[in-house]
Amino acid sequence: MKNLLANLWEKIVTSRPWKATFRYGLPNNPLDRSLIMTESLFFHLHPVKVNKKSIKPLYSMGLGIITTVMFIILSITGIFLMFYYVPSTELAYFDIVKLQTKVPFGQLLRNMHRWGAHAMVLTAILHMVRVFYTGAYKPPREINWIIGVFLLLATFIGSFTGYLLPWDQLAFWAITVGTSVATYEPLMGKTIQKILLGGPEVGQASLTRFYGLHVMVVPAVLFILIAFHLWRVRKDGGLAANEIPDEMEAENDN
Amino acid sequence: MTTKDRSFSRGSRKTYNLVEIVKSPTTMKDRGPENTIFAFPIVAILELALALGSTLFLILFSLLKDAPLEELANPLITTDPAKAPWYFMGLQEMLEHMHPTLAGIILPGVAVAFLISIPFIDYSKENAGVWFSTAYGKKIVGWTALYTVISMTGFVLLDNAFPPRELLRDVLPNLITQSVIPGSVMTFLVVLPVLVLMRTKKEKPTAREVMLVLFTVLFFTGVVLTLTGFLFRGPGFELYLPWAMPNGYNPLDGL
Ligand code: HEM
Repeated sequence: MKNLLANLWEKIVTSRPWKATFRYGLPNNPLDRSLIMTESLFFHLHPVKVNKKSIKPLYSMGLGIITTVMFIILSITGIFLMFYYVPSTELAYFDIVKLQTKVPFGQLLRNMHRWGAHAMVLTAILHMVRVFYTGAYKPPREINWIIGVFLLLATFIGSFTGYLLPWDQLAFWAITVGTSVATYEPLMGKTIQKILLGGPEVGQASLTRFYGLHVMVVPAVLFILIAFHLWRVRKDGGLAANEIPDEMEAENDN
Repeated sequence: MTTKDRSFSRGSRKTYNLVEIVKSPTTMKDRGPENTIFAFPIVAILELALALGSTLFLILFSLLKDAPLEELANPLITTDPAKAPWYFMGLQEMLEHMHPTLAGIILPGVAVAFLISIPFIDYSKENAGVWFSTAYGKKIVGWTALYTVISMTGFVLLDNAFPPRELLRDVLPNLITQSVIPGSVMTFLVVLPVLVLMRTKKEKPTAREVMLVLFTVLFFTGVVLTLTGFLFRGPGFELYLPWAMPNGYNPLDGL
């Protein structure tokens, strides 16, 4: 039985479709484990061999990865929400009610998008705090730190623009309060608020603008920045924990 | 031959060798292969587990707790209190204590400018990748965090009890009571721990140590102000205990 399975495996991984797709054999030896990296997209994220220090859970706490995962979940659930939602002051609220009561798994869908958004803001902040306290912004990672600051701001804007879309009292007044802060900018404040809201107060024009920003502009910006951010992590030599000389590691372990 | 000098053996099926002159820093300088593991499958599996774990957690949480939905938006009926989303509550809380231009524009601008300039003020490569850099750094962070939580909570409570903007309204011009006084208090609270660091350390503090103080002040100020605004502000934007809010208001409903 065991032999049969092994033979089957061997057949599969040496078959033409497998080789055409993966271009390497079963990764149970060093060479194929190298090829699986150099021949695939995954190589953009990790080198073939990774320093043990950088995968210690308490070093990075996985916060950057969790933030990335939240972004992916938000993108997927967001697309489904778009199927049921019309950004009109007359329809939006009732679309949400319908989603929650009539659409199968609609409530779960909305919950995941909402809680996922809160989680992403939280983990992005905690990730920044981790990066700071581990000194991972030091050269050569300055630019990635700065990209990170913009990622955080983009995450705030993404969450904030989404907040208005359910068009309930919570949404309306939170955005009214939030955008009123802009008016305190002494020179252009009123103009900035007008540009944001498309008028003197929160209304249909604001909903249209926030919707456009929320489903198109902010996700595109986040996608580009995250891709750049992850590529830079790799280019900068992986995580900063790799910079710790082996001798020091030995001292710490004692 | 020490372990450090040992290099990878040539792969049996490999007929070539890649040779390259690498300028430091590089990941593998001074490091032997015994400290590395294959990215596939070990790292890949760990990352997959983390991704699935956090997805599962989100699904479970979403099954247990529904997202809030209040009444249809009505521009004629103001909610009381009217709050921004939680991550902006630190800003909204500051608006209670000083001139809006200072609270809403200048201080957030300074905070972002500070964040961006951190790697250019502290550009030493020493101890990158080590939590708090040194044992001394850890101490700095611990004490600064404690100091910030106490002093910022004190600032909120004192300023709430004796607001200079109202008490001195007829005595001093608005510019002084709304901007100069709170601005000076904030500056003092931020600079004080840096001065303490300079006095307590015999040698000149490193740029990293100064950054540890300033970032810790910024982060914990953010935490205190956000929690105050989010949990402790109730109807009329007055301070209450979160579990003793009037009118049945529950701050957690506003997530
Ligand atoms: C949408 C938000 C963000 C995403 C999705 C993201 C994603 C990631 C990921 C996956 C990593 C790999 C290591 C890890 O998981 O910790 C990473 C590393 C890094 N991130 Fe972020 N990040 C975000 C925001 C930020 C912010 C706000 C900052 C700082 C201001 C930042 C600065 C860095 C730096 C400097 C590294 C290298 C860390 C090291 O070498 O130890 N990132 N990021």
